[in-house]
Amino acid sequence: MNSCATSFVFLRRSGYAGLLWVLLLSASANTLASPVSGTLSAVGSNTMAGLILRWGEALSQRHPDINLQFQASGSANAPSALITGTTRLGPMSRQMTDTERRAFTQRYGYPPLELKVARDALVVIVHRHNPLAELTRQQVDALFSTTRECGANAAINRWQELPATQDWPFGAIALHGRNSASGTYGLFQQRALCGGEFRPTLSQHPGASAVVAAVGESPGSIGYAGYHHLTPNVKAVSLINAEGQAIALSENSVQSGDYPLSRYLYLYVNAPPEQPLPTAEKALLDLIFSPEGQQIARSAGFVPLSETVRQQQAHW
Amino acid sequence: MDRLATTVITAGAFAVLAAILAIGVFLLWESLPMLVMDDMALFNSLSPLVWGTLKAALAAMLFALPIALGAAVYTAMYMPARQRTRIKPLLEMMEAIPGVVIGFIAGLILAPWVERHLTSTLVLLIWLPASALLAGILWHALHKRWRQRLPFSSAAIWLIPWFALMVILALWAAPLVEQYLLGEDLRRFLDLQLGINYATRNAMIVGAAMGFAVIPSVYALAEDALSDVPPALLEGAQALGADRWQALWKVALPAAGPGIFSAVMIGAGRAVGETMIVLMASGNTALLSASPFEGMRSMAAAIAIEMPEAAPGSSTYHMLIFAALLLFGFTFLVNTLAETVRLRLRTRLKRMGGNA
Repeated sequence: MNSCATSFVFLRRSGYAGLLWVLLLSASANTLASPVSGTLSAVGSNTMAGLILRWGEALSQRHPDINLQFQASGSANAPSALITGTTRLGPMSRQMTDTERRAFTQRYGYPPLELKVARDALVVIVHRHNPLAELTRQQVDALFSTTRECGANAAINRWQELPATQDWPFGAIALHGRNSASGTYGLFQQRALCGGEFRPTLSQHPGASAVVAAVGESPGSIGYAGYHHLTPNVKAVSLINAEGQAIALSENSVQSGDYPLSRYLYLYVNAPPEQPLPTAEKALLDLIFSPEGQQIARSAGFVPLSETVRQQQAHW
Repeated sequence: MDRLATTVITAGAFAVLAAILAIGVFLLWESLPMLVMDDMALFNSLSPLVWGTLKAALAAMLFALPIALGAAVYTAMYMPARQRTRIKPLLEMMEAIPGVVIGFIAGLILAPWVERHLTSTLVLLIWLPASALLAGILWHALHKRWRQRLPFSSAAIWLIPWFALMVILALWAAPLVEQYLLGEDLRRFLDLQLGINYATRNAMIVGAAMGFAVIPSVYALAEDALSDVPPALLEGAQALGADRWQALWKVALPAAGPGIFSAVMIGAGRAVGETMIVLMASGNTALLSASPFEGMRSMAAAIAIEMPEAAPGSSTYHMLIFAALLLFGFTFLVNTLAETVRLRLRTRLKRMGGNA
């Protein structure tokens, strides 16, 4: 209190007294009201790196003594970090596999707490002038795979083999995608190729923005990338679902899950049942499931949870 | 004090040696499970990578060697000493450009440009060397007074506006050539008539970008080798009636041959190990194709992309470690060979200079 008074005297002399006095008071009041502090660490998804960092910033604004450190090393690293105890928070762009979940339960005696924190979509993109508007699942598979597990009859190698692009003056279709160890590659393989094999001619880029840039500059190409990387240079292709309806990419269709290649993003927490969460972790979860936290997800380029899901998740 | 310094330095040297040895042992140990398995899958996943590495290195050497060696011969043999002392450090500074920057420019700026202007690029590739020859012929046909104004020793300077002119000419003429010869777009022609696929990021782009990165080191070593040739040898040859060209081909090149060989080896070693340029400019398609218009995936690039996300102990992990072992072995061999040859040459030239 004493130091506060001296600084007040000093400030009055320098002429900013009123403003800074209020600031000082409010800062001390804030820390008094919420004595939440600590360092949170999280290990996991590359895709979610920007999102987690923004949540971390917002959290530090709410509670200046909380500090969130995030190591973006890929979804595959989250379960192992949770199991070894290096971290208690594991953001993942896919659901944990049964093996990963079992390993965690074996180690701790309870399953990890699984929270859906936002929605994302994989988007098939073409050059902005390409007349292609929609694709069926079989066509996507016939474009990207050698195996055609989804049931297409013949491979599609040239733009002339698609009815919508008969007149598109580029012959062979150039394929662009992510590198084979990334979660995006795995998810596309699983969901769009029905678990089949990619063609060896797929250009594998080290990041989603590189894929979008490559498709945006070359009219004869097609590729896939995450929803939040799209630029005006590329066009998202609508996907035709099992009922034969063309689903355009929009926030609503991703949020409701109608868009065929949409997914949840997860946060796994090492939370022993019947024990309250540490206050810092609780503050983070409160932020994530608040309207403000979901707005942050939107500004990070993802799609917020629907209201019902948000309410459900908020009462973990 | 002296003894202390010697001990510290010796210890440092041994530590470096031990570190290199440890890397080799680690790689060997980690790839052992893969070697024992003797799987066809290993061969299938590794062979496109080995092929891609060699293809990228070959493309780079094809681009770099004529330029680097030509420049080395010219600076060492023909250029006046004053120009040489300025130009050599400048060329060597090219080596300071980071690979990422070159890869970025090649992948994001050069590759799309070349795709849009394929004919112009190919015309330039043929026309620029041809126009250098043309300049030589024209120079010989010039009147004597003009030849003195444009002396051969400063050709490096007056050729710059000439080449600029030729580039403009080629860019202007390329669409006309395309119309006249093919009657349609070259890419369409390749695709429809010849069935050749053109990928945006391909061996040609990687060759140019990585060649650019390799030029400085090849040039510096080759130039050193050539200027180390004792002047007495060249003077002797000229005293016996040889002209400059003959002295170059019959005396200087054979004497510096091993040095030039080691320069080429060092360049090849760098091209094989280079990661970022191939990663950003090659498209990383694991193809077994010899076409200069298709991409490739090199071992170094595969390690860089896949390693952070490969689970330790998985087959991908062991495959990548094995690729790393191959790379390590190759660059180690090439560099050792180059260094031995260079040292042997140096003692030989010293002896020659001493005798003469």
